[in-house]
Amino acid sequence: MIDKPNLEVKIAGIKLKNPVMTASGTFGYGEEFSPFIDLDKLGAIVLKGIFLKPKMGNPPPRVIETPSGMLNAIGLQNVGVEVLIKEKLPYLKKYNTPVIINISGDTIEEYVELAGRLGEVSKEMEVAGLEVNISCPNVKKGGMVWGTNAKSTYKIISSIRKATSLPLVVKLTPNVTDIKIIAQAAEEAGADALSLINTLVGMVVDIDSRRPKLANVSGGLSGPAVKPVALWLVWQVFQTVKIPVIGIGGIIKVEDALEFIIAGARAIEIGTANFVNPRVTIEIIEGIEKYLTENNIKDVNELVGSIKI
Amino acid sequence: MVNWSIGELKKKVSVILNIKVKILSRKEVASSIYLMKLKAPEIAQDALPGQFIHIKCSKGNYPLLRRPLSIHRIDKEKGEIYTLFQVMGEGTKLLAQRGVGDDLDIMGPIGNGFSIYPESRKIMIVGGGIGGAPLLALAEESIAQGKEVRVLIGALKKELVIGEESFKLLGAKVDVATDDGSYKYKGLVTDLLKRTIKEDWLADQIFACGPKPMLRKINEIALRANINCQVSLEERMACGIGACLGCVCKIKTKDKKESKVKYEYKRVCVDGPIFEGSEVIWDD
Repeated sequence: MIDKPNLEVKIAGIKLKNPVMTASGTFGYGEEFSPFIDLDKLGAIVLKGIFLKPKMGNPPPRVIETPSGMLNAIGLQNVGVEVLIKEKLPYLKKYNTPVIINISGDTIEEYVELAGRLGEVSKEMEVAGLEVNISCPNVKKGGMVWGTNAKSTYKIISSIRKATSLPLVVKLTPNVTDIKIIAQAAEEAGADALSLINTLVGMVVDIDSRRPKLANVSGGLSGPAVKPVALWLVWQVFQTVKIPVIGIGGIIKVEDALEFIIAGARAIEIGTANFVNPRVTIEIIEGIEKYLTENNIKDVNELVGSIKI
Repeated sequence: MVNWSIGELKKKVSVILNIKVKILSRKEVASSIYLMKLKAPEIAQDALPGQFIHIKCSKGNYPLLRRPLSIHRIDKEKGEIYTLFQVMGEGTKLLAQRGVGDDLDIMGPIGNGFSIYPESRKIMIVGGGIGGAPLLALAEESIAQGKEVRVLIGALKKELVIGEESFKLLGAKVDVATDDGSYKYKGLVTDLLKRTIKEDWLADQIFACGPKPMLRKINEIALRANINCQVSLEERMACGIGACLGCVCKIKTKDKKESKVKYEYKRVCVDGPIFEGSEVIWDD
């Protein structure tokens, strides 16, 4: 038995105390979860997706439960970057946990301007890095439009790359024919890490009214139902790129997180499970440490991509 | 310009706990309607009428999401809270099967709660169907504050009239309307509300909870009579703590400079569930 295993990992040049991060859109701006957990214990906090300007989001109903999962169509409602800087980021400064800001835009210019603006304040506001959302299925412009095509992925990521020296994580969509091509395009364009998967597009129909249950008609599927799909894609991408991969998709217990790490994820993001159990992130961190200790593995990095085929 | 002032959205958020509480009793009080008593001193201590708890209905991860249920009664002395709910789907079905003595994983108290104005003397409370659930705690608090309270209950039929005796025991005057006329007044509870106004029993405040068309009508009646009206809204919910922005409703923005009505999406969970009837956009 070893004493205390190393949980520290490095993603896009950012040092994380442990591989457990929060998935954008499921953890608000961090503060919402402070009554339940010590934010200092997290590997990193990824904030709710932000735009240059505030966005209203989609009409309700926006969420519906599905078998072992949920469908959402929030539509990236957000306060805009200036309110984020003024009212949300100062609260997080007191914590010693890297803050990664998930960014979106309607146009390339908006992504670029937003990345530039966050770069300007990154020292003062302690912004550790950016996660570029080119994978949201619930907005008409921007979002997934970029991430479903290798050329546009390359174009947008290389433009953002020029605008900022902040570490760039690119969040990929599973709604593509071959995710490996998109992953390569992002890597070539200068991404420092990739996170996947965003949600899978789906719908639910009310048989009485014969209308979709979400006002937006379609929504993004998340939760345990998507885990096998996410795991497969993480492993595919892990074999394709040299940059670190962050695994996301249906992680609700420590075993799920370990599966992703073994399949190649250097870190993981926890999403929907935060809604079910607000302490799930901490429980998974403790679980990973226990697993490493019990299996006599002294460093979590040894486990990354250790899958035997 | 839409008003995105976040400071304002947050003013009434109380500290939300996530705790395991014991089920003290469970009773089917009407067909598919259950009354559950929970030992939850930490929550009872802080809870306000109109707030809710977010319940994990089963022990495993099916169903996945929690279910929001309003707090029906608050017994601060005994450290107990009650919830009254109707079996609507898988979550509430499993909750109704949980045994006495079981531990229930809940989060709460959540939301802003009703605001009873100190200067109000007469309070009108209107509940439709299972919407009556949070109103008993409100009636109890109003009476404790020395207000004169009248309650109007609306239900589809006699068997679904809930809480009439409980409201009476508190000392409220209660009237009932059933859609099919199987009990007391035949018609809508909103007709009863109009009648009380015609009879010149003018409330200083109206509080309502129930189906949206009913709330909309009550708001219209209240506006015409120039009475403050607060409604409890519902929406499909995920996190229950203001993080996911899933449970929003359309609320008018305060900016009155422009002639066109503008709105923003506010969270039912922590910005509500209680809203002024006049600030809600009812047209969908």
